[in-house]
Amino acid sequence: MSDKPRVAFFDFSSCEGCQLQVINLEEALLDVLALVDIVEFREAMKESSEEYDIAIIEGSITRPMDVERIKKIRERASILIAMGACAYLGGIQRMGNKWTPEENKEEVYARHPGSETTKGDDNPFFEQPRHRAVDEIVKVDAVIPGCPIDSDEFAKVLVALLTGKKLPIPDYPVCVECKKNENICQFEIGGFCMGPVARAGCGAPCPTHGGECEACRGYVDHPHSQAHDEVLKKYGLTAEQIMNRKTMYTYRYIEEARGE
Amino acid sequence: MKIISKEDFSSFVNALIQDDGLDVEGVKAKGNKFVFGPLDSAGELRLDYDVTILPPKKYFLPQYETMMHFDISTGTVTAPPITNKKVIIGIHPYDLAAIQQMDKYFFDTHVDDIYLQKRKNSILVGIVPVNASETAFYGDLAKASGGPADIAFDLMLTDLGNNYAVLPGSQIGAELLAKANVRDAQPQEMEAVKGAQLHAMDKASRGLKVGPKGWHALLTRNYDSGIWSEQAEKCLSCGSCTLVCPTCFCYDVTDELNLDLTSGVRQRTWDGCLLRDFTKVAPGEVFREDIKDRYRHRFNRKGKYLPDALGFVACVGCGRCSSQCVPDIADPLNLFNMLSESTTESVPDADVQHVPEKHDLAQTIGADLYVPRPATLRRVVKLTEKETLFEIALDDGQPLGHQPGQFVEVSIMGVGEAPISVSSAPGGNTFQIVVRNIGDVTSALHAKKEGDKIGIRGPFGNGFDTAVLKGKNLLFIGGGLGIVPMRSLINYVLDNRQDFGKVMILYGCKDPTELLFNEEVKKWEARDDVIMHKTVDTCAEGETWDGQIGVITTIMPLVTFDPMNTYAIVVGPPIMYRFVNRDLLSMGMPEQNIIVSLERRMKCGVGKCGHCQINGIYVCKEGPVFNYKDVKEHPEAFS
Repeated sequence: MSDKPRVAFFDFSSCEGCQLQVINLEEALLDVLALVDIVEFREAMKESSEEYDIAIIEGSITRPMDVERIKKIRERASILIAMGACAYLGGIQRMGNKWTPEENKEEVYARHPGSETTKGDDNPFFEQPRHRAVDEIVKVDAVIPGCPIDSDEFAKVLVALLTGKKLPIPDYPVCVECKKNENICQFEIGGFCMGPVARAGCGAPCPTHGGECEACRGYVDHPHSQAHDEVLKKYGLTAEQIMNRKTMYTYRYIEEARGE
Repeated sequence: MKIISKEDFSSFVNALIQDDGLDVEGVKAKGNKFVFGPLDSAGELRLDYDVTILPPKKYFLPQYETMMHFDISTGTVTAPPITNKKVIIGIHPYDLAAIQQMDKYFFDTHVDDIYLQKRKNSILVGIVPVNASETAFYGDLAKASGGPADIAFDLMLTDLGNNYAVLPGSQIGAELLAKANVRDAQPQEMEAVKGAQLHAMDKASRGLKVGPKGWHALLTRNYDSGIWSEQAEKCLSCGSCTLVCPTCFCYDVTDELNLDLTSGVRQRTWDGCLLRDFTKVAPGEVFREDIKDRYRHRFNRKGKYLPDALGFVACVGCGRCSSQCVPDIADPLNLFNMLSESTTESVPDADVQHVPEKHDLAQTIGADLYVPRPATLRRVVKLTEKETLFEIALDDGQPLGHQPGQFVEVSIMGVGEAPISVSSAPGGNTFQIVVRNIGDVTSALHAKKEGDKIGIRGPFGNGFDTAVLKGKNLLFIGGGLGIVPMRSLINYVLDNRQDFGKVMILYGCKDPTELLFNEEVKKWEARDDVIMHKTVDTCAEGETWDGQIGVITTIMPLVTFDPMNTYAIVVGPPIMYRFVNRDLLSMGMPEQNIIVSLERRMKCGVGKCGHCQINGIYVCKEGPVFNYKDVKEHPEAFS
């Protein structure tokens, strides 16, 4: 047994792309292994363990069975990290919270041809009351935002945790990194960008490659959302379009504002 | 002035590109915009551009810049490799003016050697603008300043159709031009150059109502104007206006530790005063919390603060901020026109220039400004739950050489730097600091033990002026951690007791467990030439306490003094100043007899990174010790 911290990865409702980003560290993954023992990582190894110090969670918490599972993981882990937009914010699946669980079940499992077999099924796998971020269920010690996460940021968070430093997650908007990359502003070329309110740290890859920022890392701590809405309106979006623009990754904030 | 055909100019540029010892940069297209970037061939050059997305400041203060490499395992710090010599082709005069301002800023008081190296290694080739962006107003600025500014360049081009006119502005420029196929300019070509300059000005004129020299008065009169909050309501606080600005130089410093947990880099990266965490300090306080305050600060820095500090108006009229601001509130021309409309009487000109004098780079010498000096922890004494005293010796055996009230930057590689007041009196080969465990650097320091190595930069700033205090009665009023810097002066005064009149010390803290320097305080109390009172805000039941109970102002009536012949030295948390200073003034103490020491986020310690500004004052450079009379006019000082 080494005295290195034991790390376990767990996935909930997600595409597991964030775990893939960890594997994408490639050679640097060997440096990670010099710092920690990975004892469970379904996407990369077949072993598993119930003894770990650091639990890294990917995915949103959706079904009652997930709630029980995450609580058990929390009990065992001394540090719990929410990794990626699903774990941090609830993910794009959180848009489903716009409708009731019954409506969702009807829409997904009953309404379409070929779905007769699942209609009325009381199988617990089909239960999806609400999509929640991990910290809405258990205490979270650190987050690594993003959809998917940035591999380098994963390494930085690990270094910060192991050296007792403040987490290196910035509290300034994506515009900062976008400007440093000398991009043409999305608003100038017909885009409707979330960059002015979205949390940076990703290096602004979407606008750098010609896309709009979708705020997959959530908002900065004090977003000036009202001013941002005015900008979206000025550039031609209707109130409904603005609302839609703000639901993809960030429906959590709308729910929170409504007190849901 | 010389003339070169466009074809020969291309050959000239292509020959420069072939030179391996030279990086050739120039203006190129990016989509329907323009950027400065490395040239593969002269054909990429777009010298008809209007404006680039980012100014050429990125060559001298890059977006991300390695300041030093470190290796914790060996304790070594190494400088980044020296960059290749660069030729930068196509800089418009407003950007050259901005570089001149940048020179003044980075060479003032402390020469920034990292900037200097890049600056010395660059050859600047300017061009008179053929086109201007919609938001540019450098023409207005030039007209208001009585014509184009005297700007430094190595070569200056003017597009004359089939040819460029080329004017060498330096020996380096002349030498470079010697490699090109040129002829002397004819008189009519010289006339054409003048015409092109005037044309460029006209294109970038949008109707500025008050010239840059009048901005100072406009800003002073309108500090509390409703315009700031009206505009700030639309502000996204995204920082774009400052990031793209050629005359915004603020930066943040971070340590990037590699996964091996031993090697890494200390780097600086662009920061901006519009961003909320720009003024955030470790305990969580944000000194410019309101967007309005940050929005106002940016314009004041341009039109008032830098003019006061360095004598130039920090706006060159490039128009980048307004073109990048999506809510469209960043345009200085609009803002100053709005201010002038709300100002009924005419405004006087401030004694400032638009562009400072050219800087003689060859005569500018820099030493390692940011590399910390190795030092050793000689003694580590835990004072309270959170505060520890560290006695430090510089490894080169030199004394620190500080004045009471000065501070040092404590550096822990891989973690960062923190400004810490020196707590011991001058003298001796060691010095003491007392540190509260509150942020990354301070907690890393608390994890260290006697014999461990740290880095020290400094001493920095202005300390207490002991010459002024000589022969006077001294009333020390310290709150909480304020006693730490104050102790350097108290002990200095007690070491030279015969030079001073009455010495009174009032010391307050939250509760008895937070009292610092317990043994020393007892000694001060025991002296018959010191009047000492201490108080705590609250005292828990069962706690031993032989002092007063109540906030610091409640023990002020316990001392009597002649306010005209007494100096009050006040150091404490921000809230304390307001009440203590109010009471001192009501006791009849003249403003100039109150000395304060202020705290802000002093990241670089040498007046460059911009974080510690109180309105226009750089606390790290002009403070942290101030005379109340000098600082009270600055609304941000005690707000």
